[in-house]
Amino acid sequence: MTRLRNVAVVGFAQLPVVARDEHRTSTEMLYPVVRQALAECKVERDAIDYQIAGSVDYMDGRPFGFVSALDVMGSWPARQDLHLEMDAAFCAYYAWVRMQAGECDTAIVVGHGKTSEGEPDRVLNLQLDPYYQAAIGLDPTSTAALQASAYMARTGATDRDLATVAARNRAAGARNADNQMRSAASADELMKTPWAVQPLRKGYLPPVGESATCMILAAEGKAEKLCERPVWIHGVDHRTEMQTLGARDLSRSASAQLAAQKALAMAELESAADADVVELCSVTPVEELIVAEALGINRQTSKPSINPSGGPLCGHPIMSTGLIRMAEVFRQLSGRAGERAVPGARRGIAHAAQGHCLQQNIVWVLGTERRWT
Amino acid sequence: MNEPPKEGIKYIDSKVYLPYDYIAGDFKVRYLNALKDKRILGSKCSKTGKVFVPPLVNSPESFAPCNEFVDVADRGVVTTFCIVNIPVIGRNLEIPYVAASVALDGADISIFALIQECKAEDAHMGMRVEAVWKPDGERQGDHEDILYFRPTGEPDAPQASYINRL
Repeated sequence: MTRLRNVAVVGFAQLPVVARDEHRTSTEMLYPVVRQALAECKVERDAIDYQIAGSVDYMDGRPFGFVSALDVMGSWPARQDLHLEMDAAFCAYYAWVRMQAGECDTAIVVGHGKTSEGEPDRVLNLQLDPYYQAAIGLDPTSTAALQASAYMARTGATDRDLATVAARNRAAGARNADNQMRSAASADELMKTPWAVQPLRKGYLPPVGESATCMILAAEGKAEKLCERPVWIHGVDHRTEMQTLGARDLSRSASAQLAAQKALAMAELESAADADVVELCSVTPVEELIVAEALGINRQTSKPSINPSGGPLCGHPIMSTGLIRMAEVFRQLSGRAGERAVPGARRGIAHAAQGHCLQQNIVWVLGTERRWT
Repeated sequence: MNEPPKEGIKYIDSKVYLPYDYIAGDFKVRYLNALKDKRILGSKCSKTGKVFVPPLVNSPESFAPCNEFVDVADRGVVTTFCIVNIPVIGRNLEIPYVAASVALDGADISIFALIQECKAEDAHMGMRVEAVWKPDGERQGDHEDILYFRPTGEPDAPQASYINRL
């Protein structure tokens, strides 16, 4: 493996996920988060070279809303800036690529999206082709249910298996103050919740939430000055599948599998079992099962610990859900995970996804030590 | 063979329906409510003292918070303008009319305003203008509460007084 530049996560801030912030617009929510992340690194905005934001204007219905985000990111004097209509975890990837190219040493990566001002199901329907898939009214819950049926038919997974996955996340999530859902629930209780779209029950789906997030990345040489315990990127890969749902095997995630293989190879790890903790961007129990399988995680063993944060089932602020997975691994490896800390965690995997039925996947391998010497 | 159908479907008529329920945010709520009392509120940068209208939570320029609300005047100076000769969707205005950037007294940035009671050829930079409000009891707390701005007849403001407030 070629020697790459060591890049680390050095700071992160987020607002606790809520159903609706009545007091602030999307960018007004973002401002204090950018300030807090910089304060955590004890620097002013001028210390950071590059900025990149993940948001979708359709979410809060403000055309060119991503431009107004510049006003709260400290964009003057004129900065290098990029915006993606993707979860902020994908923005982190772009920042990492820029650093590999030597074009910047430090970056702020933000995610924001005010889901309560619009109707996310209608917005996300528009991710599909307009002739057929969108026209028949598919929304993310319906497509996730199609995927769930396909997975259950292939593997024999039962309603109880789904409830068990959801219950484990709910129990873990009760310890995370940033979560919107902070009450544990047993599998029996969740199996009594009504169908959302069969075979998915309401108890297996996250509440729609909103938040704002800011992560700071820095390359070797700068990272050590910004953070006492930087968390280093050991490997990363990003893969995308076809948009046409019918052209894919929905019961599997070929792109998550390939991204995991490539990221693990970059990190020189044999398998995901070498990680102490993994955070999966799974918004249904079936997505967790599919992604865990794609990453080669044996769910019967205690290592790695899966979603000690409670995962997206306990908080799903669209545009930040994936970045929060990366941030949770940062928190675990830098001693910031509090009550939900996995003892002795030194290596972790963060997964982020975007699009219907896990269309796009990114896998990060992170560690407490530098990857390249 | 391979001839397209004579009456083929070439297009799909698809309507996108996306309803929104916009939150004004606490800063804009104060600003909009103050309009009912014929007051225009700005916010002051805690670092540079610059005043932004409508109020912003932070200065886009200095990145510092703007925690203090201040009243600015309902009169100011035309910093730049244009003469519009095409109809505007949603507004029934006699053309040509003057659209201007107005720096209100006490504000460090301009707002956009319609200028009336002024012939297009008389509009100029530095011209002093004042707000014409909707009558008492009719103001709703929105931008329509100011019907338009009109010349005050005061002497022109010197360019140096507004050149940095465009």
